[in-house]
Amino acid sequence: MLDDQIKQEVTKILANMVKPVTLKLFTQGMECGYCKETHELMNDLLTTTDKLKLEVLDFEKNEAEAKKYGVEELPTIVVMDEQDRGIRFTGIPAGYEFSSLLNSLLMVSTGVVKLTPETKAFLDYVKQPIHLKVFVTPTCPYCPQAVILAHQMAFYSANVTAEMIELSEFPHLAVKYGVQGVPRTVINEKWFQEGAAPEDMLVEKIKEAL
Amino acid sequence: MDFNLSFTANADPNELYDLIIIGGGPAGLTAGLYAARYKLKTLMIEKLPVSGGQLTSTEWVENYPGFPEPVLGQKLAADMEKQAKQFGLQIINETVTEAELAGKIKQVHTPYEVWKAKTILISTGSSPRKLNIPGEAEFKGNGVSYCATCDGPFYPEKTIAVVGGGNTAFEESLFLAKYAAKIHLIHRSDEFRADKILQERVRANPKIELMPFFAVEKIDFTNPEGRKLMLKSTRNDEQSVLPVDGIFIFIGNDPNTKLFEGQLELENGYIVTERSHETSVDGVWAAGDVQSKSLRQVATAVGDGACAAFRINRYIENWSE
Repeated sequence: MLDDQIKQEVTKILANMVKPVTLKLFTQGMECGYCKETHELMNDLLTTTDKLKLEVLDFEKNEAEAKKYGVEELPTIVVMDEQDRGIRFTGIPAGYEFSSLLNSLLMVSTGVVKLTPETKAFLDYVKQPIHLKVFVTPTCPYCPQAVILAHQMAFYSANVTAEMIELSEFPHLAVKYGVQGVPRTVINEKWFQEGAAPEDMLVEKIKEAL
Repeated sequence: MDFNLSFTANADPNELYDLIIIGGGPAGLTAGLYAARYKLKTLMIEKLPVSGGQLTSTEWVENYPGFPEPVLGQKLAADMEKQAKQFGLQIINETVTEAELAGKIKQVHTPYEVWKAKTILISTGSSPRKLNIPGEAEFKGNGVSYCATCDGPFYPEKTIAVVGGGNTAFEESLFLAKYAAKIHLIHRSDEFRADKILQERVRANPKIELMPFFAVEKIDFTNPEGRKLMLKSTRNDEQSVLPVDGIFIFIGNDPNTKLFEGQLELENGYIVTERSHETSVDGVWAAGDVQSKSLRQVATAVGDGACAAFRINRYIENWSE
């Protein structure tokens, strides 16, 4: 999937990884088109660093595991270290979302999160679960901002899970959530934030949703 | 399939930068490229993880010299970013919340840090203008869009309205025609500002119907099965209803200058500059769409950025506290 030039650049970027990171890829025996491409993309990533581990799970044969990680669509990638950090990619992280994926790998590996003290204080205070679904398309330049922000919140707080969803692969979700514009961050299935909102704006929306 | 590689730099907030560039579109990236080659200590602050500004929401660019085959806006943007970074430009992804432009040392506030510099280049560009009609805000992201490359894929074989008469409206109609079954291109008059070559292509596209002399008065997408626009004829005020699945609005742009209001001279919201691109405040330059000028294109933005960087370099040579 990745050509040699991109592999070289990715190698340079991932040279900054510190701790090992695990990619759990949920797919199926007879892989769907995007499942196959995502699988190949993960294999390509493994060639750029020795700090990445890939676990491929057949969705049907690993029902309990899929349920544990809240996986409902394929492909889904869980980015984690020794524990689940609530970071998910549903659909292929290609186009602009490839940057979001690399960002999450570096974040989990280095432990560095860029959130304001206010956001951190809010996340420390909240005890309810917060589930963020960030709907994107791979050609949307405004989308990685929303995805990276949600994933940072997930990494920082054990109460937050954040899922990038590549909507063009899942038209039924576009219908279900009434989304025809990206990015959109759906909060706990009911509230949403439209567009690439700054951090404080998303926090306000989450407060409304709780 | 494309794979984008945009990353935030690790910049040092204790540094006094020679230059801080606010906004990473073509003007800012060109200034950044030049400044990096002048070996100025330069920091670019761009709110999105992806540089390129409006270039990234343009499908094809055909009027930027040097590309006899049309180049993808997103590709051109990524290449400009890469080129500037190769010469050492640092780009961080933070949203500027306040800019203190007066004084010898300028301060730029973000939610995370206060950045300091001897000079500032404002290249914050402009944002899509709203129609300001009922339903527009309510259905944004669910039928109302300002970005064809983002949201075009949601309209396979659908009927779309595009509003506007300029290059963007015409270019994006041609892009959307790849997905949609039918496009109504609505404009208040029959005088289109779009380049003649685009007008010819639009007229030749069987999917696109030009609808001159109409204004959209209301967007009513309440019923998902019966989405409609309320139109008014600009000739005889007669009202009509147009069923569509979505509407894309390209009626021009407004400058992103809110941060600077009251600090420097503006003209209709745009920043007034000297020929050297210096603003009314010493040590502050502006380049690209945000400037008060006659033509806003990638080709003019890069020239602005280069000129500004050249003058900033001279200014830095003579700078003392």
